[in-house]
Amino acid sequence: MSDLLGIGASGVRAYQSALTTVSDNIANATTTGYTRRTTTLNEVVAGGGITSGAAVGVNGVAVAGTARLADAVKAADVRASSADLAKSEAGVTTLTSIQSALTGSAVGDRLADFFNAATAVAADPTASAPRSTMLEAANSVAAAFTATGKALDNVAADLDVTGENGVETLTSLGTALAKVNDGLGRATAGTSGAAQLQDQRDQILDQMSAISDVSVTTDAAGRATVRLGGGSGPLLVAGSASGAVTYVRDGGSVSFAVHFAGDITTLTPGGGALAGVSDGAARIADARGQLEAIAGNFTSGINAVQAQGADLGGKAGAAMFTTGVTPTDITLSLTDPSGIAAAAVGAGTRDNSNLAALASLRTSGKFESDTTTLVAGSAATLASRKTIADAQSSIRDGAVAARDAVSGVNLDNEAVDLMRFQQAYSASSRVIQVARDTFQSILDIR
Amino acid sequence: MQISTNQFYSNTASLMQKLTQSTNDIQTQISTTRKYAAPSDNVVAYQQLATIRQSTADGTAYAANVSLAQSLLQQSDSALTSVESDLTKASELVTQANSDTLTDAQRKTISTQLKGVMDDFASLANTRDARGQPLFGAATGDSAVTKNANGTVSFTGTGTPASIPIGDGATIQPTDSAEHVFGGIATASGTSDVFSILSKVTAALDAGGSVTAAAGEAGTSLTAALTQVTGVHGAVGARAARLDLVAATMKTAATDLEATRSEIEDTDISTAVIDLQKMSTALQATQASFTKLSALSLFDYLK
Repeated sequence: MSDLLGIGASGVRAYQSALTTVSDNIANATTTGYTRRTTTLNEVVAGGGITSGAAVGVNGVAVAGTARLADAVKAADVRASSADLAKSEAGVTTLTSIQSALTGSAVGDRLADFFNAATAVAADPTASAPRSTMLEAANSVAAAFTATGKALDNVAADLDVTGENGVETLTSLGTALAKVNDGLGRATAGTSGAAQLQDQRDQILDQMSAISDVSVTTDAAGRATVRLGGGSGPLLVAGSASGAVTYVRDGGSVSFAVHFAGDITTLTPGGGALAGVSDGAARIADARGQLEAIAGNFTSGINAVQAQGADLGGKAGAAMFTTGVTPTDITLSLTDPSGIAAAAVGAGTRDNSNLAALASLRTSGKFESDTTTLVAGSAATLASRKTIADAQSSIRDGAVAARDAVSGVNLDNEAVDLMRFQQAYSASSRVIQVARDTFQSILDIR
Repeated sequence: MQISTNQFYSNTASLMQKLTQSTNDIQTQISTTRKYAAPSDNVVAYQQLATIRQSTADGTAYAANVSLAQSLLQQSDSALTSVESDLTKASELVTQANSDTLTDAQRKTISTQLKGVMDDFASLANTRDARGQPLFGAATGDSAVTKNANGTVSFTGTGTPASIPIGDGATIQPTDSAEHVFGGIATASGTSDVFSILSKVTAALDAGGSVTAAAGEAGTSLTAALTQVTGVHGAVGARAARLDLVAATMKTAATDLEATRSEIEDTDISTAVIDLQKMSTALQATQASFTKLSALSLFDYLK
């Protein structure tokens, strides 16, 4: 009869534990990174011993441990798709900024205004009003080029901040993961403590994959070894050791490196925000190069036309624009409207043939269409990136759904489990009562 | 497949967010009347619009030049009409002076009248045009003609006045130089100009005696001058007619460009409003079904 009491007691203990796990699941139903847990119950088999050959007895139920319903493959899918999405999203952010930088000052419109102001001067070369208008238009062109250049610089500066933040976060995530690894090494497998640490590990890995693509291997204790930028990339975390990631800008390009145990290895991220950052840096440098080419051709072309003509005073035209450190840093050096060289040398004040040279420079220089092409090229890339990002977002959502189908908490399921274990608990209590009653009936024999 | 509770909420949130984003986009399209907010929304449209914008701006600048040229040609037209009538008058005066019945004193009076006509020509040539420049000015010089101390009139500058741009690669010469109007006339004694012809005949009239030869030559020369001025006048008319055509073409082109622009980037309000209605219906339905679904819980039945 004491067996019956024991079995009942083991049931009560086991289902109490199972109810605790269910309650834990319910409480953490919306906790980020929480993986659903179940209590693994095992039948306790009390043998008569190998030698005796006696019938196997049954001695109740025992809690084998808390199982974590994680799926390593699905978790890796989520990480890979997150890294792809983060790369595209970072690219979209930068390309959107480049687009606003290129269109904000409307360089193309200002160029058209300038050349059309010259057309008006050609109609009345001696009048001061059209000349003043043309100089104002020239000033607007200079300001538009300068502002666009500055805006691109700002995009690059923002990108640097993203890059710096990315590597800092990655480094601190590495440090945190090393600590979790350390904890996992000491935690007892099957405990809720170990499950908690594994949740933390997976959450850190998810966060890492948003910054760079990661290649993860785990040992028996669940400790993660992390390589960045693919399977053969530099090591960031191994056991309880972690490295540091650095970001360096060199002119128009950026690079990353991992410092681990005294070694410095170059990191080439294939996914995550960092890959978006290096891609974005290349895009900015490209846009800048094209803009500088347009600006340089424009200023040198206009100044050459000025130099070959004569101003209202009959003197050779002075340079209209001065460039600063970069070709886009343009200032208007011609301040006197009568300094516009509208006439050919020696042709008199009413001549406008040098402005015809300006008009042919407009046609041959293709400044306006080049500006449009620059904006359109960048916009086309942005549009395709957005489409890719949308597709990757769906892929990521699908991967998350597949992972959560296994490891997410569904409250209805938990309610069913709650009822099931509650009933089992009550039934086990009944067993104890029955055992006591049965035993009592023996004691009651007089 | 099990849908985790967390996922149910986050899915619904992201779906509603997308719908809200869509309604917001349509709302923006309606209120700005523009279909595209940024070049990346439609790259092809952006490129077309950039070209249209440039063409429209060019058209505006050229149209201003065309209307200036039109007013200059009109001014030339009226000036040349005056020149023609003055030349006719001069011819009549010369014919009158050639009459044997006139005395020297009467011929002097005619000479004075002819000098007046010469002054008229000089002041007509030097009239300021709409730009403040001498109407019949050459490429150079501050005036068209200069009256010298000895009473003769000479051309101030040289060269053809500058043509002004009225289209891509198209220019028009809005005025003519005084030399082109009054000079280069073939006379019996070589190439001359209206002022020299008149100076010569007035000198002969002032000198007295027989003027038959001088007046006869002047009469022929003035007829030749009238033919030349009429020719110039005709050319001015032809250029004005060309400008009328150009102006009309520009107007049509501007209308076409605006129509194309509108077709490319203007929001079709009725379609947009219907889309907005569709989106907001979907959003409302999502909200309603979310409320219903989130109210469903097995825990409600645990008593």
